[in-house]
Amino acid sequence: MKYRLKIAEETFDVDVSNLDSEQDLRFTIGEKEYNVRYQAISDNYFHLIMNGKATEVFVARGEQGKHIFVNGRTFLVQDEDQLPIRRARRRGLAETPGEVTPPMPSVVVRILVEEGDCVKRGQGLIVVSAMKMQTTLRAPSDGRVKKINTSIDAKVAPGDILVEIEEEVENE
Amino acid sequence: MFKKILIANRGEIAVRIIRTCREMGIQTVAVYSEADAGAAHVLEADESILLGESEPSKSYLNIERLIAAAKNTGSEAIHPGYGFLAENPEFAESCEAAGIPFIGPPARVIRDLGNKTLARRIMESASVPVIPGMLEATTDPSLLSQEAERMGYPVMVKAVAGGGGKGMRIVLNRETMEEACMSAMSEAEKAFGNGSLYLEKYLKAPRHVEFQILADHHGNVVHLFERECSIQRRHQKIIEETPSPAMTPSLRNAMGKAAVSAARASGYVNAGTIEFMLDRSGQFYFLEVNTRLQVEHPVTEMTTGIDLVRQQLEIASGNHLTFSQEDITQRGHAIECRIYAEDPEANFYPSPGPVLLHREPTGPGIRNDSGICEGFEVPIEYDPILSKLITMAATREAARERMIRALKSYVILGIRTIIPFLIDILSSPEFAKGNTYTDFIDRNFKNWSQSKEDEDLARIAYVVEEMTYFNKPATKVKNSGWPTPWETLGEWRM
Repeated sequence: MKYRLKIAEETFDVDVSNLDSEQDLRFTIGEKEYNVRYQAISDNYFHLIMNGKATEVFVARGEQGKHIFVNGRTFLVQDEDQLPIRRARRRGLAETPGEVTPPMPSVVVRILVEEGDCVKRGQGLIVVSAMKMQTTLRAPSDGRVKKINTSIDAKVAPGDILVEIEEEVENE
Repeated sequence: MFKKILIANRGEIAVRIIRTCREMGIQTVAVYSEADAGAAHVLEADESILLGESEPSKSYLNIERLIAAAKNTGSEAIHPGYGFLAENPEFAESCEAAGIPFIGPPARVIRDLGNKTLARRIMESASVPVIPGMLEATTDPSLLSQEAERMGYPVMVKAVAGGGGKGMRIVLNRETMEEACMSAMSEAEKAFGNGSLYLEKYLKAPRHVEFQILADHHGNVVHLFERECSIQRRHQKIIEETPSPAMTPSLRNAMGKAAVSAARASGYVNAGTIEFMLDRSGQFYFLEVNTRLQVEHPVTEMTTGIDLVRQQLEIASGNHLTFSQEDITQRGHAIECRIYAEDPEANFYPSPGPVLLHREPTGPGIRNDSGICEGFEVPIEYDPILSKLITMAATREAARERMIRALKSYVILGIRTIIPFLIDILSSPEFAKGNTYTDFIDRNFKNWSQSKEDEDLARIAYVVEEMTYFNKPATKVKNSGWPTPWETLGEWRM
């Protein structure tokens, strides 16, 4: 069986095959090989012996993938072949230069610019607040504020484009 | 003693207060907002009252509704916890006016000490050393700028009504002064309903050392030694410990005396904390008084054996302190880690969402004050603290090792927490050496990212979970001629 598993922005091919018994697996991840014996204690709790070393791991299924706990660290692991398209598109949007989106669900508390304003890279545009913390969203590049798509007290989420910045075309 | 009290708070601190009440045979009334209907403090209390919508002003900050809830349930006192209305003098006054004792200092003391510039004047008059800075606050940015020019940059802009790092900015030069003042003012206005600011000289990388005090209604004041809280991000503490690695017996004696003088000068009653900055030469300066139970109070409880919430209740009901300064001793070393729902790889952005799995660490010398339970949705509206993990041992080194062990077995899945970041701090040689100053994180852990060490294990776990998830019904039905109902039931959950 082959999986393409993504953690943060990195995807690795994971190849798995059964050894002698159902509980014994051989993994190939990138260049590395692991022999794993596993025991499922519950739906979320697994005991793994990897190359002779025992570890407890915990797994919970979430909306975006599986949340996995190993030795005090947690990872969001996603199957590249099952990623919903909507998420990919949202992420794609957020990466478009000139579009400003909040890093987390939050509420707009101040708008520092107006449509038509010229802004410098790093200039504060919008202040959002979540869990009592205020964050200033800044201009990703020099340019002109083309559109403001939000208002004070609006609830906003990652992927929502709050401000659109148009890069100034230099006239010689 | 009171027979029933209302707890005007939520989360871990409400749960913590309920626990002591239960031990003392006091009935508890929890209050909650719509977002907290399934929260741990509601589940643990004897009764609970819905205050209103999730927005704090319609629930946990709504004085009228809180007083009405206390009256309707026959509560004999109100415990404010920390945050929300804990340091709001109008709330303390409203409680007194309604004939319901407020478990904390008198409204006048909260008002005096909550005004940071007045507090500075009170301390000066009691010969407690204060940081050089303004003695009057203002909302005029140009006046603040003038004052900053006079004092010389860098300066610390602080909200006169402030606390918990809200409305506070370090300003390095005049170019950034105006924006810092504006954003600090708006943050303070929002958090405390008062946007006035003042300036203090910025001390470079001091230690933050505070003293716990208890004062009864009969003029008895004691301190319960220090807590060091220098490890901070965004001016908010994340790791606290006692004793402080910087403390000597003579310094402890001097600071303890100053703390008791500070409490006496302000007419303090109930539990409080006198915060100091300690510079590298061993000089200490008064910072502020927190007129409430502190987040980090458990480290004091662990090393002195004194339950501070029980003391608060005894004092509020008019009883005398049952011990004197000489009776209080400290044993061993305790460390607390605050478990915040934040992404330490993304500038500590809050990480609200569902708690899919929650498994607390256990073992000798471990205490976990938690305010969450599995299935709870951590709301966007409130402070991102989930729980506080405390370890205690005979020495600092043993308490540190114990904390690393405990953190590594603390499972919270579904939301990001700062646990992996805390593990790396506790494991660092600088922390082990006790080189803890307020710039610790900037100096040692700027742009921290999680180690990739266990990523392959996580991938393996993904696949193992996938195989058991899909194989379960199949393996159970295998080899049976006519499947029994027990086999075909398969994936039922109760």
